[in-house]
Amino acid sequence: MSKTFMNMDERNVQVAGRVIAIMYLITILALNAAVIYRQIVLGQDFHDMEDIASILTFNSLFLISALLYFGAVTIRNLKISTLLMGYVGFVVLGSLFTYVKYNVFGDANLSLAQLLDKLFIIASICGLIVIFFTLFSILGKRRIDKALDD
Amino acid sequence: MNIKLKLARVAKNLSQQDLADQVGASRQTIGLIEKQRYNPSLNLCLGIAKALDKTLDELFWETDHE
Repeated sequence: MSKTFMNMDERNVQVAGRVIAIMYLITILALNAAVIYRQIVLGQDFHDMEDIASILTFNSLFLISALLYFGAVTIRNLKISTLLMGYVGFVVLGSLFTYVKYNVFGDANLSLAQLLDKLFIIASICGLIVIFFTLFSILGKRRIDKALDD
Repeated sequence: MNIKLKLARVAKNLSQQDLADQVGASRQTIGLIEKQRYNPSLNLCLGIAKALDKTLDELFWETDHE
């Protein structure tokens, strides 16, 4: 039985993983808190924190993809109806966030017509997200099935 | 306390560090297993059982009166 990286045994790896997961969660929450603080208290424009927003967005995307791929979340059967429901949910949430982003935190008051213009962009991005997650869950499922076949 | 594991280790005249070196774990991990503060993986249990020339049952099986 060999030790792993940095002479860590299985207990060390387990504890390190737990600590890293908690610290990751705290970091993400702190970044969210920083965005809210800068928007509400400092009154900064949301364009000033697009870097943090990008980090949070890509981080979440890759986190969920990695969870799906490495089997932390097992999806037994991918149904079209479930995917559609997820897609619609994403579009609704995306629209809501965009509306709040412009009308509550931003200066520009978006009308419903302008929001509809943005709906096309939201629908496209949400579609990509759903395809991204579906792809990783299929790849993850194949990876595990292959390991079972070997 | 997993007294069976401790007794088996002592009977083999091994320190916690000796056993840890044999199974590729740290002394602390062996100590925590003996104190039942850490649940080892099946692989590590097998490694410990082999190192002590015991079966898994002899080291880790708990009967009702224990």
